[in-house]
Amino acid sequence: MSQASRKATSAFALLRRFWPFARPSKGWVLVGLMAMPIVAAATAARPLVAKHAIDRDLPAGDPAALTRTVLVFLAVVLVEFAAQAVQVYALQRAGHATVARLRRTVFDHVIRLPLRYFDRVPVGTLLSRTTSDVEALSETLSFGVFTILTDLIVIVSIVAAMFALDARLALFTLALAPVLVVVVRVFSAALRHLQLETRRAQGIATGFLAERLGGSEIVQVFGRRRDTVAQYEVLGARYLRATQRANVYDALLYALMDGIAALAIAILIFTAAPDVATGAAISVGLLYAFVDYLQRIFVPIREFSGKLATIQRAAASLERIYGLLDEAAEPAPEPTAADPLAGFEGGFSARDLRFGYGEELVLEGVDLDVAPGQVVAVVGRTGSGKSTLARLLVRLYDGYRGHLRLQVRGGSVEVADVPPAVLRRHVAMIPQDVFLFDESFAFNVALGPVDAAMRERVAWALRTVHAWDLVERRGGIDTPVGERGNRLSAGEKQLIAFARVLVRSPELVILDEATASVDSLTESKIQRAMETVFAGRTVVVIAHRLSTVERADRICVFDRGRIVEQGTHGELLARGGVYARLVASEFDRDD
Amino acid sequence: MRERLADLAGPLARFYRGYVRRNVPSYVAGAVALVATNYAVVRIPKLAGEAVDLLGAGDRAAIAAARTTAWELVVLGVGIVLVRTLSRILFFNPARRVEYRVGVDVFAHLLAMPRTFLGRQNVGELVSLATNDATALRLLAGFASLQICNVAIAIPMHVVQMWRTHPQLTLACLVPVTLGALYMRHTIRRFYALVRRGMEFLARLSDRVLECYAGVGAIRVLGAERAALARFDERNDAYLDLQLRVASMRAFAMPVLGFSGLVGTAVVLWWGGRKVMAGELSVGDLVAFSALLLSLVSVLTSLAWVLASMSRGMASLRRIDALLGEPEVDEQRGEALVLSAPPSLSVRDLTFAYDETEPVLCGVSFDVPRGGTVGIVGSTGAGKTTLLSLIARVLEPPERTIFVDGRDVKSVRLADWRRAVAYVPQQPFLFSATIRDNILFGLPPEVDPASPEAARRLDRVIRLAALEDDLAAMPEGLDTVVGERGIMLSGGQRQRIALARALVRNAPILLLDDVLSAVDQGTEARLVEAIAGLHGASTAEAPTTVVVSHRTSVLEHADHIVVLDGGRVVEAGSHDELVRAGGLYAAIRAEQGRGEGSER
Repeated sequence: MSQASRKATSAFALLRRFWPFARPSKGWVLVGLMAMPIVAAATAARPLVAKHAIDRDLPAGDPAALTRTVLVFLAVVLVEFAAQAVQVYALQRAGHATVARLRRTVFDHVIRLPLRYFDRVPVGTLLSRTTSDVEALSETLSFGVFTILTDLIVIVSIVAAMFALDARLALFTLALAPVLVVVVRVFSAALRHLQLETRRAQGIATGFLAERLGGSEIVQVFGRRRDTVAQYEVLGARYLRATQRANVYDALLYALMDGIAALAIAILIFTAAPDVATGAAISVGLLYAFVDYLQRIFVPIREFSGKLATIQRAAASLERIYGLLDEAAEPAPEPTAADPLAGFEGGFSARDLRFGYGEELVLEGVDLDVAPGQVVAVVGRTGSGKSTLARLLVRLYDGYRGHLRLQVRGGSVEVADVPPAVLRRHVAMIPQDVFLFDESFAFNVALGPVDAAMRERVAWALRTVHAWDLVERRGGIDTPVGERGNRLSAGEKQLIAFARVLVRSPELVILDEATASVDSLTESKIQRAMETVFAGRTVVVIAHRLSTVERADRICVFDRGRIVEQGTHGELLARGGVYARLVASEFDRDD
Repeated sequence: MRERLADLAGPLARFYRGYVRRNVPSYVAGAVALVATNYAVVRIPKLAGEAVDLLGAGDRAAIAAARTTAWELVVLGVGIVLVRTLSRILFFNPARRVEYRVGVDVFAHLLAMPRTFLGRQNVGELVSLATNDATALRLLAGFASLQICNVAIAIPMHVVQMWRTHPQLTLACLVPVTLGALYMRHTIRRFYALVRRGMEFLARLSDRVLECYAGVGAIRVLGAERAALARFDERNDAYLDLQLRVASMRAFAMPVLGFSGLVGTAVVLWWGGRKVMAGELSVGDLVAFSALLLSLVSVLTSLAWVLASMSRGMASLRRIDALLGEPEVDEQRGEALVLSAPPSLSVRDLTFAYDETEPVLCGVSFDVPRGGTVGIVGSTGAGKTTLLSLIARVLEPPERTIFVDGRDVKSVRLADWRRAVAYVPQQPFLFSATIRDNILFGLPPEVDPASPEAARRLDRVIRLAALEDDLAAMPEGLDTVVGERGIMLSGGQRQRIALARALVRNAPILLLDDVLSAVDQGTEARLVEAIAGLHGASTAEAPTTVVVSHRTSVLEHADHIVVLDGGRVVEAGSHDELVRAGGLYAAIRAEQGRGEGSER
């Protein structure tokens, strides 16, 4: 009992939270709800009209009256059809629109979740929250909930009509209903249990199949085809047996409906017979109406439990979705807020900066000062923390200790205090893998809708970074770049990334191992492009290539989360420390 | 439609012979059960009508007769539950077996397909063949067969029962119902087309979502959240529009058949009512008539659904038939090969191209002496992996290019060749199973995984592949489950388990494709020693080995090293010779030699 009430409360809480998504469609919901009683009334009234024809018009032998009654019957049928169509359409419309809104909210939320969350949860899971979980809801919203409601109203009105016609006949014939409910519950429970087993067996078999097909080369070269197939046969047979057992219950549940109406009619006859014998008036029309009612009242009762299960699944989906929405995300950018970075020229400083992705620290007290307009190179082994510094500077990760302050006119602001969206207008990061949308070059450079002014700017930027010819070659800036830019080389993508920087004109640019995987043909272009992009900006280069590093005003060497050396290329080489060793090992191949 | 049926004749016939024929007795029994079911279905309204008339008459004899009728209804009511259940079991359970057999056959067939076929396929699509398409065939063999059988029995029985009551009335009320059924058929076809498009739209929406989730860091850094959302909206709205079209069909078009049944009932009331007034029919006949009509409508509804769903089953049938028609690799064809000792291998003027494109390998020749080791080195794309796949006969080499003990490997029975070779591919693919099972997967078929021999081999390869420390650190050691449902292994650990899996085979030929690329420096040295050690102790036992690597450090122990560049052998010789020669090998070595200590 307490469990049931808890369930009800939590269901209520789920629904209340859901309402904002449905609210914009409340007109349609209202229309759908208003159509419901009309549907129910028409369903219940139809046999009554027929009863009238049989009991009044036929004995009277009045064809004109019969025609009138049949016209009324047709009108009722038409109203039922129309009301039902309107109801179904309105509620599905509301349901689908609601779900589309929910999906949009989930998507918008997920793309603003902290990257730590993405480190923890696989992208596939997030995808299925956004698509399959939401789809499950869609089914329920457009069918489940409201058909249950309609069924309930229809059942209630039929029962009411039957009792109004003849309470005793109604009572006896409907006595089957509770029996049916119990039988259906017992069977459904057994069936659900079997279906669970079926799904589990199927999951295991399909998982095995998928994996062995994925590793089919291994199966083949190790000559294990025969026993792999034998293993699959065992798993498949388990699934087969479970489904065959489930089939029996399923067939019984289905067949029950054919029998129950016959039994109900038999009860009707047994109950009515003594009355008729004592001369009490039971009209034929009444019997007709009862036969009609009894043929349609049991089906919704059977389907009730199935529909309830759908709703339960949807509730589970909804809970998972809410769980996702409850994760704190970055606030959406507020365009009106004052810019705390007005007067920022790219200078920043780190003081005792410490940070870790998990418990282990990746940065263990970094001190660094970069003056506006400087080009600073950061070098170090993989895992030394140099990329982490970049991620903190654009607030991809939060929660550092110590200070990371940006110099603005007349002082400095802590990175953690700058809204991420604002920060990223001023600080640009160019990663090694350039992300491209499957859209036009123009869109990818502008990263938004392209108006005439933006087109100009995009074209200028592409020319400036020497990417114009590569764009032209592919058909101009309105040509799509292909799925994830698969028609472009790594170097070409870099050029697009540089054009992005020019368009947005940030004061501080961070290149995160940006030129690590570039073929030598594009590299010279990139070098030239970099000159233009760097001009007048503060630049941090997290580097692999010596050519970039050599030209830097200063080189910082990271090792185990700290800066261990700083100076120019010449100074550091002369010192013969970590940098000199790195140069000897890592950078050598460029010479 | 007609010509499509014609070219379905072959697949249908094969499907029938291969899977359905053995179920025919069950179907016949099912059909008998369906006849019994439909007898009851049409008899129940008739009885209800008779009872109404009897009770309406109100005299004592009639009431007794009505009671008898009621008892008959009880019997029929119980009976119909039994025969209906039986008919469904008799059709559906054999169909489940069809699904199972098709799934197993497709899987077995796929595993016997050549790599050139499998390599081109998307795994998801192959899985779908063995699961979704098999399910579609099950529906064809079960649900569709049952429905068609049922319709074939039910429609005549309904019509006959109605006709016997009143032929003209039957015709009159069948008019709206027939029109409704025709409209339904048309509607369902459009409905399915829309649903399919809906699935496509959803897939496209998912693509877009996935694109953004995978690139979320970049999107944020670029401040492109709005642009991403706008792109999402585009597809989300398109999907919604489509769903609304489906919704309007569901609401307005699909219920038309049911509506036509009620219109038919109105006809029964009106026309039949007039006949009652004229004394040609009784009220009970009207009761029976309208009940039969509604029952007929439900039969027609399921017919319309079945007809529409058959096209899906036929598409699956075609796909599966086409797949099963593709020739398998015959592993038993060719001459027997029994190797009592490691053989010599030679590659002679091997040229190979995947398609009509440029050859990947061009005139490659080298020899591996009995129990010797040859190293293959070269940059990415030099053709190393292709060369090794050809030796392993993962890809079929051209005739007379690869020889084992002087015999063309092409002439050797593939099953025997598989037994002779232990091959470690570049991607260390492990199954979701325990580490023990993954390693023992490499055992030759004659060694029982539970035997002491297997245990001995397992111990040995764990040592050889330097896995002891890793296993000690794992929660359940050898019984730790790896892969999707288990723990995550590092690239190096996966590679070493894959290596152990090959070594446990004790095969006379060992082919290693860049198997140490993710292993750290110290372990690499240890493994190189171990592999060399296979050769050191007793040469008679040492497998004939070909090692591919892009790192020269792995190859220093090789007897002979072949340097590939652009598919050609550009240098060959021992490590020392090649270093002295100062060519490509020396250059690669110089480049890598100084990278020591860096993480990979």
